[in-house]
Amino acid sequence: MSNWHPTNDQLLEFASGTGSSAMSIAISTHLHFCQACRHQVHDNESMAAVLFEEQTRADLAGDGFDRLMSRIQNEPTVSAPKAPKAPSRFPPVIEKLIHKDTESLDWRSPMKNLRVSQLLKDETGLILGLHHMKSGGRVPHHTHRGNEISVVIEGGFSDEMGSYGPGDFIHLAGEHFHSPQADADGDCWLLSLVEAPVKLTGPLGWLVNPFLKP
Amino acid sequence: MTEQQLQDREHFANMLEKVAASQDTQAFQAIYNHFGPLIKAFGVSSGLHYQGDHLPEELVQEVMMTVWRKAGQFDRRKAAPSTWIFTIARNQRIDLLRKLSKYQNDVDADDVWDLEGDTDLFGEVRESRIQTHVKNELNHLPIEQKQIVAKVFLEDKSHQEVASELNLPLGTVKSRVRLAMQKLKTHLGANEL
Repeated sequence: MSNWHPTNDQLLEFASGTGSSAMSIAISTHLHFCQACRHQVHDNESMAAVLFEEQTRADLAGDGFDRLMSRIQNEPTVSAPKAPKAPSRFPPVIEKLIHKDTESLDWRSPMKNLRVSQLLKDETGLILGLHHMKSGGRVPHHTHRGNEISVVIEGGFSDEMGSYGPGDFIHLAGEHFHSPQADADGDCWLLSLVEAPVKLTGPLGWLVNPFLKP
Repeated sequence: MTEQQLQDREHFANMLEKVAASQDTQAFQAIYNHFGPLIKAFGVSSGLHYQGDHLPEELVQEVMMTVWRKAGQFDRRKAAPSTWIFTIARNQRIDLLRKLSKYQNDVDADDVWDLEGDTDLFGEVRESRIQTHVKNELNHLPIEQKQIVAKVFLEDKSHQEVASELNLPLGTVKSRVRLAMQKLKTHLGANEL
């Protein structure tokens, strides 16, 4: 069970499907580790379902059901309950984004003891990346160009604010100045969510200062 | 929840199980007749028709195809029929909109919104209490809170987009949502939330 969670607003946007792609993937990753937030999302979905049922009904096309049945005739089998997924190292959605294995990704190393690879840039300009810190490695002091969210997916790290383990969903404000250090007993893998640097007001709703150096 | 709503819940759970067990088309048609018009209304609230007149009806077709294919995964102990179908409609809306946009990626909505692994034995009881309470309280909310809740849940708008549309500060939208959610969840013990 993790100690750092998305906000209620973020969980509500996730449940109603209105968050951006990259944000939704980050929240889904957190949910993989956090039962309490899974329950909250399910509660939100239950509430949404009440509103859904109370809508004014819209008239359907007269031939709708016949069209549906003729499509179904072409695939008559009702699927059996899904077989349990093979256990994977990272949450399934992250495995899918990595495609093969972490070594086949395109890595760069912006700072000592840290390498990063971009997994996805979404429709709002949020960039989802994978970060890897070697066990015990300390990344030099730095601040962030914009606001950033990190989700630990393996291992753990500490900085001046606290220490974090798998599933922790950490909001870092743009002015946050820190020097994270991976735990000594294993490498640390993180998902990171940042605003693309070109925007003045990013999709996370915070003002990004273009004069701050990364 | 009223007696009628409890009966509906029971009734459509039975229908979904019939579709799963024996591909019962009468049961499937009963589900279509009840939920089809709601899925279409949801497509319209989400603004799908602005991108193509046929899209709300297309959403109904896609959601009902998924209901047919996945009926075997429906589990009445985990979710009410309405909740299960709402989550399918949400995912299909996301995939449909993504297909239409120039922005693409390889992740499907089902990869992101897949919470099936979460078995909660008390899910049904908890959910039915929440839904009863929400139904009762919804009509007691101040109009501005009710309007915002309907928008954030059904209209495919982020809090930021709702704020822009209503010409309100983002903080006001968030606080109205928060107040409404508090009322809708009151009476459920704090421990349960």
